[in-house]
Amino acid sequence: MSILAASIGFAVMLLLMVIGLPIAVVMAGAGLIGGLVAFGPYFVSTGGAVVWSVLNNPVLTAIPLFVLLGELLLRSGIADRMYLAMSAWMGRLPGGLLHSNIGTSALFAATSGSSVATAATVGTVALPSLQARNYCMRKSLGTLAAGGTLGILIPPSVNLLVYGSLTNNSIGKLFLAGLVPGLLLTLCFIIYIALSNRNEVNNQEASVSLAEKIRLSKHLVPPLVVFGIVMGGIYSGLATATESAALGVMAALAFAYAHKAISKQFFLDCFRQTAQISGMILLIITAAFILNLTISLTGIVDQLTQSVVSLGLSPFSLLLILVGFYLLLGMFMDVLSMQVLTIPITYPVVTSLGIDPIWYGIFIVLMCEVALITPPVGMNLFVVHSVRKDGGDIRDVMWGALPYVCIMMLFVMLIMLLPELVIWLPQHL
Amino acid sequence: DDAIDLRVMGQPMATGLIQKNLEQPFFENLAETSGLPLKVNYKAADTTGIKDTEQLRVLKSGMFDLISLRLSQVSRDEPTILGLDLVGLNPTYAAGAHTISQYQAVVDKRLQERFNTKLLGLWPFGPQVLFCNHPISNLEDVAGLKVRVYDQNLAKFVESIGGVPIPISFGDVHQSLALGVIDCAITGTSSANTAGWPEVSTHMLPIGFQLGMNGYGINLNTWNKLSDQQQATLQASFDQLVKDIWGYSEDLYKESLRCNVGEKPCDNLTSYDLVKVPVREQDLKTVSETVMKVSYPTWAEICDQSNPSCSAEWTAAMKD
Amino acid sequence: MLKRLDNITNIIFGGIFLLLSLLIVLETLLRKFFNLSLQGIDELSGYALALGACLAFSSALIGRSHMRIDLLYSKYPTWLRSLFNLLSIISLSLFACFLFYVSWQIIQETQEYGSTAPTAWSTPLIWPQGAWFAALALFSLISLLLVGKAILLLFTKDLQQFNQQFGPKGVLEEVAQEMDDFNSRSQNDIKASSLLGEKA
Ligand code: NA
Ligand code: NA
Repeated sequence: MSILAASIGFAVMLLLMVIGLPIAVVMAGAGLIGGLVAFGPYFVSTGGAVVWSVLNNPVLTAIPLFVLLGELLLRSGIADRMYLAMSAWMGRLPGGLLHSNIGTSALFAATSGSSVATAATVGTVALPSLQARNYCMRKSLGTLAAGGTLGILIPPSVNLLVYGSLTNNSIGKLFLAGLVPGLLLTLCFIIYIALSNRNEVNNQEASVSLAEKIRLSKHLVPPLVVFGIVMGGIYSGLATATESAALGVMAALAFAYAHKAISKQFFLDCFRQTAQISGMILLIITAAFILNLTISLTGIVDQLTQSVVSLGLSPFSLLLILVGFYLLLGMFMDVLSMQVLTIPITYPVVTSLGIDPIWYGIFIVLMCEVALITPPVGMNLFVVHSVRKDGGDIRDVMWGALPYVCIMMLFVMLIMLLPELVIWLPQHL
Repeated sequence: DDAIDLRVMGQPMATGLIQKNLEQPFFENLAETSGLPLKVNYKAADTTGIKDTEQLRVLKSGMFDLISLRLSQVSRDEPTILGLDLVGLNPTYAAGAHTISQYQAVVDKRLQERFNTKLLGLWPFGPQVLFCNHPISNLEDVAGLKVRVYDQNLAKFVESIGGVPIPISFGDVHQSLALGVIDCAITGTSSANTAGWPEVSTHMLPIGFQLGMNGYGINLNTWNKLSDQQQATLQASFDQLVKDIWGYSEDLYKESLRCNVGEKPCDNLTSYDLVKVPVREQDLKTVSETVMKVSYPTWAEICDQSNPSCSAEWTAAMKD
Repeated sequence: MLKRLDNITNIIFGGIFLLLSLLIVLETLLRKFFNLSLQGIDELSGYALALGACLAFSSALIGRSHMRIDLLYSKYPTWLRSLFNLLSIISLSLFACFLFYVSWQIIQETQEYGSTAPTAWSTPLIWPQGAWFAALALFSLISLLLVGKAILLLFTKDLQQFNQQFGPKGVLEEVAQEMDDFNSRSQNDIKASSLLGEKA
């Protein structure tokens, strides 16, 4: 199959997705039709072998487990109370409650797999109090949208899991690699808020007594403990990512019980939500593997890799091109589809130029974070906008998020210049 | 344009030197070196997304014409194969070659009948030996230790010497050894070297529990497209490849034994300083006795369920 | 009926992963403190996913969660939306039937070869694959029921109602759900936002 034919196929596929057909169906369909054309009917039973291989992969079991973990913390109300404690501690910084948005998002991100749930929850808790205190709407919305993206970088992260399973990289290493950049990026956001609000005396909360702070801090315990168990299990080697997720689920369940949140309805809600989210993700991954089989067997990626290598690009300039590519693609695509469609193609090219595979995973996820807040299609923009009750324009949240897009792009440049920020921790175990 | 398409699934790239230095170059040059009208399309298993356990089914379906079969994994669908490499059966390369000369025909016949697949050759990754992050002076010291295993046969063996078998994927072993989740692990000497296991272990007991057998299988439909003359040529090419791999594997084994304990020469691998536990006669005896005491009965029970004449044919073939 | 089926599916799904988590905790403790191992937790995790994922496919189908990009969709006239909603449910159903078909082939082969997992447990593969197959059968059955329902709705109700039941679940709807849930859980709990309000 020629590169031209493959590109036409790819374009048709994108078109079918954009006009509103289910992503999973379009990908699986493209894989099957391509495979049947190239290899004839044997392809179907090989496709079956791939489907069983994917769905029987214990690495991917971590996806429903992490989603369940996030749901247990969210629906038991544990996540809601984090905001209280965060604002007690961070409200005195210039920019006041805006920091709590980022801080709560980052902490909640660290236990939940979904950035939509993060943005929606924090937004619902925070917006009324921000409005009551006359915070600038754009800034408020911007921090909420940007804070929500931290969820896919700070582990556990479903997007890192997807990357690891598509490229056969260790999930544990990817999670460890996401930790330092995730915390650093959070810090960058906080510094930016403090600097840009240094003259806004209004936006500083009244000081809270230390006793009060300590009293409220108990709300930080459950998420920190769950995060500690998950990352501690992975870091100590006591447990694989999947096992750590399971340990986290049990801990979250215990906290939910301690908060008297357990009821039949609570379980039903958690289970339904977890099933719907994981079903959506896993069907797309299944479809992606069917498509990958075709892509791999036709040798299209080998051809592409060879032609890129023959261009003699330096790794740095290839990455600059990819930054542009993902920035553009991320404007229009949902991040999960963007990941499963592009990783099988870009990964072999990138690694053949000697770029570290774990580092590239973090790079991709950072570009996905950007995609979540770039218009016209930016999931977190939509979520935050729809949490808002005053009927303002969606451009407010877009403008509000713009500085964070810039910070993230600078941050991408930073990890390109200093890759050790990413790969030091996973290499030094 | 009369070229015959030959879609090949190779060993996973992650398995290292044999795949990289012998197998892939062999297939990429096969058409040229054999002079056969072949159009070879070689794909390493880990680039396809197909799990190695599925290989026999995929080969039978016709999607691939030739597969570098990972025998331990594909024994899922055909346990007869496992009779080639029961724990304790092949402590040395010579013993492995002997087993093959006696039992290959049985396996080949079974694969032809059930999977429309002909075996073109069998080869070993090399002796699978014991690495421990815990002082041991002989095999008996394994009692009470947690040992990483990769299949049922090995698990039963570890149990039989008093150890605690724990199945862990290859990629997780390094960290598990480092942190004491397991005390020992079994694998080939050169893969252990490449994966850095000696960094996280202290002792190596170089008894080969298994030989890590693999083999080339070709779909019979593809095979029958060739004339008798062409079949002979292709078989000869594979005989040569398999012979090369046997030699290379043994060289690599010897070198990795040296490298793991810091002896010279050590040119192609990393040098480490493990304690080389001396192999006692008694340990060798324990391992060779385990065949009839543990491995064979464990395996026969499962194999006879899917192939009623399995254990009988093995006993008959292995008689002398 | 679909609603009950959905509830049962979700309970089984959740039960699988809670039970798996419990067993993993047990294995970790046994390994750490008693030098024992169940020897098959990884294997079991794989089977849990095979069954759980396919049950989840059904839940996502009933909950209209299988992802569709609604950027252009939201600008379509009603009839065009209906057309795409119909195409979507039919194509999802085709995909479900494809999965059902290949899993049928796979369990037939497994039956024929009497395959057993090459693991410490030596699990007869037909057990986990049988359960997997049943879950995919349920998925395709539900998808066919939904196709039937869609066609029925198209003939008996107006397009708007049809689109409500078969359109993609947009962000608005998801956020509305989240906010409902938030309000209901903060009613019998400290009211986070109002607490903050009082403090000011
Ligand atoms: Na996260
Ligand atoms: Na975007």
